[in-house]
Amino acid sequence: METIPENEIQTAKPPIERLAYSVQEAADMLGVHYFSIYRLIQRGKLKTCRALRGKLLVPRTELLKLLQTDLR
Amino acid sequence: MNYHERPTALQEQAYTEARQHFAEHLKQFRANCDAIHNIESNLPATANDASRAALQSSGRVIQTDDGTQWQHAVDLTKISSVCHRHTPSGLEFAVVECLPLKSGEMKDVLNSGHDASKVLQTFARDQRQLLTLWKDDVTAQIREHLEEKYPHQDMNIVVESFDIKLARDISRRETVAQNQSHGVRI
Repeated sequence: METIPENEIQTAKPPIERLAYSVQEAADMLGVHYFSIYRLIQRGKLKTCRALRGKLLVPRTELLKLLQTDLR
Repeated sequence: MNYHERPTALQEQAYTEARQHFAEHLKQFRANCDAIHNIESNLPATANDASRAALQSSGRVIQTDDGTQWQHAVDLTKISSVCHRHTPSGLEFAVVECLPLKSGEMKDVLNSGHDASKVLQTFARDQRQLLTLWKDDVTAQIREHLEEKYPHQDMNIVVESFDIKLARDISRRETVAQNQSHGVRI
């Protein structure tokens, strides 16, 4: 029986789902300009956390919440 | 660069490289500072235009996400405009923002009130706060970029120079706007 090489087993692992995204990444996901993301943050529509000396991170859960609620 | 100490050749190089890397961000930032400055400079005229439109009761109808109906008066930016509506307590003005998202357009009232001039002033102040939020985030991104690109090197002086530059962009325009707002008459 043919055995699977160890390095192939490692690459077959499912990708780790990101928990948070930068402002630019969040903008790309929502299909808007990143300035709009800052607006949403300022207006409290997107909650963020600050990491890496102040860099804004948008949790994935917040993006999903926004996508579910922005069509009212 | 803005600093008191003399930067090393590596810090100079890092500054130039970061400026190129974040050129689009810096350009957009400056453009938005200018846009807010223009709104503040034209505030009395825009408020007059909004009041005139309200008296004529003209303009297309915009329904915001809270179900309120407004009439468009004056465009402020590509996605925000001054609107008006008649209420039992009198004429009301609002800055309405139409934010296009993949799943649909979000139409929100940013701020409202019975005085068009005050509504515009509040909008301009909020926009400047937004610029500060943006500035802090861009500065943090620059720091992260430099830490990755120049590990174990002190790049504080480079990050600070960007921070100071962006802060000056905001405050310089704010100072001009404050000086002009003293003469606002509607």
